[in-house]
Amino acid sequence: MIDEINHIFTDIGFSFEEGPEAETEHYNFDQLNFSPEHPARDMHDTFWFKGKDVSDPTVLRTHTSPVQARFLEAHGAPAKIIVPGKVFRNETTDATHEAQFYQLEGLHVDKGIHLGHLKGTLEYFFSKFFSGKTEVRFRPSFFPFVEPGVEVDMRLLEGDSKLAGKWIEVMGAGMVHPNVLKAGGVDPDEFSGYAFGMGIDRLGVMKYGVEDIRDFYSGDLRFVNQF
Amino acid sequence: MKVNYAWLKDYVGDALPDTGKVTDLLTEHAFEIDGIETVGSHVVIDVDVLPNRSSDCLSHRGIARELATILDTDLKYDPLAIKLNLAPTDKIQATIADTSACPRFTAALITGIEVKESPGWLKERLESLGQRSINNVVDATNYVMYAIGQPLHAYDADLFPQVDGKWQFGVRFANVGEIVEILPEGGSTEPRQVECVGTELLIVDESSNTPIGLAGVKGGQYAGVHDGTTNIIIEAANFHPTITRKTARRLGIVIDASKRFENEPSRDLPLYGQYKIIKLIEDIAGGTYEGTLDVYPEQKENPAVSVRVSKTNALLGLELSQADISAIIARTGSAVTEVEPGVLSCTGPWERTDLLIEEDFIEEVGRLHGLQNITSVIPETTTPGAVNPQQHYSEQIRQILLAQGFSEVITSSFQKKDQIQLQNALASDKSYVRSGLSKNIAAALDTNFTHTDLLGIRSVKVFEIGTVFDKTESGVGEHLSLAIGVRQKGNGYTPKDDAPLQEALDALETGLGVTLESKSEQGVIEVNLSELIAALPVPSAYSSSSERKVTTYRTVSQYPATARDIALWVPAEFEAERVLAILQENASSLCVRIDLFDQFEKDGRTSYAFRLVFQSTERTLTDGEVTDIMDTINQVAEQNGWEVR
Repeated sequence: MIDEINHIFTDIGFSFEEGPEAETEHYNFDQLNFSPEHPARDMHDTFWFKGKDVSDPTVLRTHTSPVQARFLEAHGAPAKIIVPGKVFRNETTDATHEAQFYQLEGLHVDKGIHLGHLKGTLEYFFSKFFSGKTEVRFRPSFFPFVEPGVEVDMRLLEGDSKLAGKWIEVMGAGMVHPNVLKAGGVDPDEFSGYAFGMGIDRLGVMKYGVEDIRDFYSGDLRFVNQF
Repeated sequence: MKVNYAWLKDYVGDALPDTGKVTDLLTEHAFEIDGIETVGSHVVIDVDVLPNRSSDCLSHRGIARELATILDTDLKYDPLAIKLNLAPTDKIQATIADTSACPRFTAALITGIEVKESPGWLKERLESLGQRSINNVVDATNYVMYAIGQPLHAYDADLFPQVDGKWQFGVRFANVGEIVEILPEGGSTEPRQVECVGTELLIVDESSNTPIGLAGVKGGQYAGVHDGTTNIIIEAANFHPTITRKTARRLGIVIDASKRFENEPSRDLPLYGQYKIIKLIEDIAGGTYEGTLDVYPEQKENPAVSVRVSKTNALLGLELSQADISAIIARTGSAVTEVEPGVLSCTGPWERTDLLIEEDFIEEVGRLHGLQNITSVIPETTTPGAVNPQQHYSEQIRQILLAQGFSEVITSSFQKKDQIQLQNALASDKSYVRSGLSKNIAAALDTNFTHTDLLGIRSVKVFEIGTVFDKTESGVGEHLSLAIGVRQKGNGYTPKDDAPLQEALDALETGLGVTLESKSEQGVIEVNLSELIAALPVPSAYSSSSERKVTTYRTVSQYPATARDIALWVPAEFEAERVLAILQENASSLCVRIDLFDQFEKDGRTSYAFRLVFQSTERTLTDGEVTDIMDTINQVAEQNGWEVR
């Protein structure tokens, strides 16, 4: 499934990036405009490594967004990347929550990028992924590393799937916060960009009707061999 | 934040649409709605206020103002637009040790009140929000907090010692080991004793230096209001968000007050809180207002921000005129002036502490104009600039192993015991991160072997590509790892398992053009993939996107599967597919798969051996049930002129 997602994005010019799963607090939070002790950090229940094992405070990354910060710092703008990867949240597991799950991050920074590009790209992706014309709508939201921030809903317009015709909340997104651009050495007056992040497991749940997210990590071939 | 619809109407007036429209407008332009409920005669809307708006919208007035902004109308009554004229008092003093920790402290004195039950309307409103009514004074403090967002605390002035005829408050940091007694929590009737670590900000009775509350987090019982109280002091202050948050988190106290302070409400708010509660106490408890102390050492005003018309349209992908943008920002209550053509100077209203940079105002324009007005730009088909070696080779390895009949699994990154332990684990059997994949692969071989019939496979062949962690000189290291495992017999590893593993290894060596040194250990091979990929040439092109099979998925049954074999002599004109189709048609929906596992021809007839696997998603199948189905199949075979062997 990740491979399928990857191909849809490479067809429109996104390249892959990756980053460490044991990530420093600096990249996981600070560079992404999560100031220390800011309530926004409560949105991420974090696993921490022991202080004696690491030279800088280190976490199991709570999202794939640190790769945004690392990429901009290393390569500057323009940037057009997707980052699929495992992320971790210190949450009790149940059928719809896992302490480890796969996320897909997207980042596109260039001259003249705006919310319309984000909307068009996501509509393109969902239409391909769900094999049917799909529309996307934005609602106001808040994430520290974007401004404006939006919640993304999608609606499949065709087909006889259970999903068809219903608005479904799928991901958070927005225009990259100027503090994140500046932290990566990119001038926000010259470049702008959008970023999005979605749970790949959730996409699987929607596309295949999987009932228990934990099955993805069970190593159970009765589950795996169906894909 | 629970919002009472009738309460909203006090502020918005008749311009307030019905609840359905209110929730639609908020969803589209401001906040998600978590639910609507009816409590008695009250309709209550649960609004999920976003973190950046928790400074002003954790209040009825805030949500009302937001609705008025969306509707482009004025509030009928705005408790934050009144002209304050609070008489001062010299009977109360306050000493603030660190003014950045407590930028403002106010205290109002009201004498001759009567503590009693709250009037019905007040009780009902609080109860509709899930708040128990206590008495008119305590209820008034809660009411004002829910009305405008300012937390308040009431003291019995006669239980609070005076020095030289003055009540003396202090705000200072706690000493290490200092004990503070706070109000009972969570259904308990006993006060809670809190031992301080020194980062807590305290409200103290300066006369004896006694701690009387954790500033912004929780009040104490010291000088508490009781049935016989006649003179009260009401405290309304502003505390540093980070300090409040740290204390609240450490002690696990997240209540309405701390939630508001940690989101940095305006420093102008405390006096509006005093104004509102003084009026309310006079109404419902009588008494005489004596005066208010206002200590405001750290003043702060909202910044004037330059907002460019060009930048606004460039980020939103819109073509709004300067007049449009100016009008939309003005609807928020912001002051807007033109600096030069194309550039506006905008200052947010005093109660909004979130409008600090150009992008903040651009977001206001986007959501109020309507995010639905943003037009999609269809992406162009292009080729990406660079190919990622890790992704490229991982994908190649996947394809090679899948072709060898292996299945990919993803297993947990957590282990019961390994090299590196986490500081805050989820559970004791998941407190380490894995240093290798082999253990998980061996476990996957064990669990899957029992399902081989159901899966229609003779042996279990799995692999995983994943990150593993180890201790290095500089700390926690990590690399990508590949593990491959084969199991042919249920009772564990046999040396025979090494042959298919070696085949897989050979296929990888040929496909990648490398030599792999790895050896099988108990039927599992693990390779450091990061090292391997680093030694391979940098790939130059992405493989093109291929047509993919359509996948449908069925829930994995929790009940055991039963297999039966059937061997048939069939006339040569019957092809295997036709026989299979006839079997499938007659094997009932409990038959989850049929596999042909043997076939040979003799004397113009063909012998087919099939394995049928039965399983229910609802129950364990009985032997009788399966036998009945097999009987039916035997009959069908005879009707077709087949001989059951």
